[in-house]
Amino acid sequence: MSASVQSLVSQPYKYGFTTNIEADVIPRGLSEDVVRMISAKKNEPEFMLEFRLRAYRKWLTMAEPVWPNVKYPPIDYQNIVYYSAPKTQPKKLGSLDEVDPTLLDTFEKLGIPLSEQKRLANVAVDAIFDSVSVATTFKEKLAESGVIFCSISEALQEHPDLVEKYLGTVIPIGDNYFAALNSAVFSDGSFVYIPKDTQCPMDLSTYFRINNGDSGQFERTLIVAEAGSSVTYLEGCTAPMYDSNQLHAAIVELVAMDDASINYSTVQNWFAGDENGKGGIYNFVTKRGLCAGKNSKISWTQVETGSAITWKYPSCVLVGDNSVGEFYSVALTNNYQQADTGTKMVHVGKNTRSTIISKGISAAKSKNSYRGLVKIGPKAEGARNYSQCDSMLIGDTSSANTFPYIQVQNSTAQVEHEASTSKIGEDQLFYFAQRGISPEDAVSMIISGFCRDVFNKLPMEFAAEADKLLALKLENTVG
Amino acid sequence: MTSSMAEVRSRMTVDQRDAYLKGLVQRAKAAVPQELALETMRSRAEALLNEHAFPSARDEDWRFTDLADLLAIDFVAAGESSVSEADVADLRLSETAGAQVVVVNGRVSAERSQLQNLPDGVIVGSLRSHPDLQVVERLAQASGHHEVFTALNTVGFQDAVVVWLPRNTVVETPIQIIYVAQPEEPALLAQPRCLVVAESGSALTLIEDFSGPSAAPHFTNVVTELWLDANAQLTHSRIQREGAGTFHIGKTVVTQARDSQYIGTAVDFGSRLARHNWEIYQTGEQTTTKIYGLGAIAANQHIDTHSLVALSHPHGVVEQQHKVIVDDHAHSVFNGRMAVAQKAQLTSASQLNRNLLLSDKARVDTKPQLEIVADNVKCAHGATVSQLQADEIFYLQSRGISAPQAQRLLIYAFAMEMLETIAVETLRSRLAETISQWS
Repeated sequence: MSASVQSLVSQPYKYGFTTNIEADVIPRGLSEDVVRMISAKKNEPEFMLEFRLRAYRKWLTMAEPVWPNVKYPPIDYQNIVYYSAPKTQPKKLGSLDEVDPTLLDTFEKLGIPLSEQKRLANVAVDAIFDSVSVATTFKEKLAESGVIFCSISEALQEHPDLVEKYLGTVIPIGDNYFAALNSAVFSDGSFVYIPKDTQCPMDLSTYFRINNGDSGQFERTLIVAEAGSSVTYLEGCTAPMYDSNQLHAAIVELVAMDDASINYSTVQNWFAGDENGKGGIYNFVTKRGLCAGKNSKISWTQVETGSAITWKYPSCVLVGDNSVGEFYSVALTNNYQQADTGTKMVHVGKNTRSTIISKGISAAKSKNSYRGLVKIGPKAEGARNYSQCDSMLIGDTSSANTFPYIQVQNSTAQVEHEASTSKIGEDQLFYFAQRGISPEDAVSMIISGFCRDVFNKLPMEFAAEADKLLALKLENTVG
Repeated sequence: MTSSMAEVRSRMTVDQRDAYLKGLVQRAKAAVPQELALETMRSRAEALLNEHAFPSARDEDWRFTDLADLLAIDFVAAGESSVSEADVADLRLSETAGAQVVVVNGRVSAERSQLQNLPDGVIVGSLRSHPDLQVVERLAQASGHHEVFTALNTVGFQDAVVVWLPRNTVVETPIQIIYVAQPEEPALLAQPRCLVVAESGSALTLIEDFSGPSAAPHFTNVVTELWLDANAQLTHSRIQREGAGTFHIGKTVVTQARDSQYIGTAVDFGSRLARHNWEIYQTGEQTTTKIYGLGAIAANQHIDTHSLVALSHPHGVVEQQHKVIVDDHAHSVFNGRMAVAQKAQLTSASQLNRNLLLSDKARVDTKPQLEIVADNVKCAHGATVSQLQADEIFYLQSRGISAPQAQRLLIYAFAMEMLETIAVETLRSRLAETISQWS
């Protein structure tokens, strides 16, 4: 059975093409001058340069974390291009027509509806190509309800006060090694501001694409939801296939005020390396949401299928009383992929609640770890957490680990953690076979059932995509 | 990390901690009696200590257990000391009469031990009185010896209790080892050592009972090695109720060969700081391992259990439950690790950790950890932290039971589930007595 399961998992990566586009690239390496150069290229306000330099100096004093359950050769930070942008981009885009058609083609190929004609999709997209945002759709329509949705570079020009007020408040510059690096060199990302008592009229989405083989991608997303507002945000990512590894160190910060709610979904499909583990993206990401206000809610949903290495812990800091944090995750690893992912739920306020549902699937020689922290502070009266992490192993050479940390300092809290590990049993496949269902279909149905708790939380279009994605990734693993 | 932890940590530098460890090693070494030189084994452990640093909160294994208070005391190696019969009389269990070893500060007391009730061929007693015993393949040979405190014990233990069962021997009488901590001025480092070898097809029940009536500072650093050869069966109870001034660091290593069965229960009531490293290594197929833990702590007590079940062969069955009651300012740490290697197909493992937090100042840090490489396995783990359920108390109240009484009843029930795994009646009821007085 394992040979056939094996063949099921190995599907070619269909987003692996490269776009030949002239790029504005700065020399390799990182120094204070590079940080200044990036800031100057983006024509940033003074406070931003200060912020970057502080982060850079902090980064110099820090060491790369060694605790994750992943292995990779040392990264040469001087051999990375920290800024790469399509050259032909005009200063300011009047409309989509001015965007380089090659770029539009690229996104067309990826299936991202940039053209605003495709209103049916009803999703506003910010497309990020290497280091810069190339287009943001539906901006005007969003502006009617007061919602700001633009690239963070643009936000720095148009709304510097808002950016200054919130940037780095959830993830301080020295939070961890990669966060410090990102704070120093981040190139672009999305900025979302939802004003008071506003329901964002459509789903927002960012699409990330790494194109340059030598560049790292360091994007930064900041979402602020004022009191009583709500927003759903989707994020997708792909990259071409290269033999070398590229570094992706992003930061996502979310702030939710009183009664606000943010739903953040990710379908991560960076290039994972080939079947021998060559190439692929190092995905070292810091994501954190702050439930600052009462009754606020932040929900993370992620489907992680790509990247050679994933190191990512979308977290919620539940400060406001009665605030809610949620984490729904499916992480699939195949071949030589390594994932160390999970969440942190830090309960500070009273009656805060959190739910963690994590599903890990590991195939071939991959390593999949769930690492989570549930921390109940001494003041978090009546806090409640429920965690469930299930792992599924396909083939006997993959591994699944769970490292759940539970720290409780309040006696009125209730924390529950459950985990299980299992495989797709012969008997299950036999049962399907009896009913005339092929092993391939059976596996895909079993997995889709295994992940259902999480897929149910994804927005509709994403759920369908995620289901397909997993089926593709696992093709030929069962036989 | 809280600022107070950082402060404590900064109190001693790495160099200071290393100097402290070196001092401890030298003093322990100097106190080793001539006839137990065991040079190869001890020098290997010493070499290991030279390479390893004294643990700090920066080590993942010691993240939540701060040894600063231990570092503040310069312990000297314990020497010969004795206890009166009155001191141990209460600890003797009627079931174990004639099979009792008394160990005082790490040395076997021949005077207090009573060993008349044992079958022929079974060896129980001090290693010093059995110089011909071939221990080289067993003593200090179990996995897990590369840990600082274990190596410290290997370098400096002054005596070892040996329990050796020849093939196919069944010892009906449970064997009880009574470890007495007898603090002195200056504070002592006592390093009891125990080696149990159950050759194939043998069976026994073993009780290790650590006690110490005094609240003076004391450091017990104990290592117990249990070898279960093919088909052997061992039921083991480890009771730790040392004095309020004691630092208790213990290691229990169980090595299980094919078809063997180990049932262990560890109870932690005492000490100001107690750490138990409980490691089970499988060396053959189809082993059964059941481990149960119960902790009940109050005041400023700190207990830390790090368990490891390492499975490397097929058809292993593991069941683990660990329950802790934490009151006042006490702090409980649990790290339960199950490692299932690729060869260990068809393993069935379950682990459950439950914590009862009775006070707002109490703290629990738990990490049930699964590491699985085999695909054809069933593994599950769970952990809960909560206070007593209000509806359960209410239910009892509605039947005319007062709230405090209801609370006691529920705590008792919570603990008894673990105590019921102890095979020896008198011991079980004595421990139950302690729990029933808890409120």
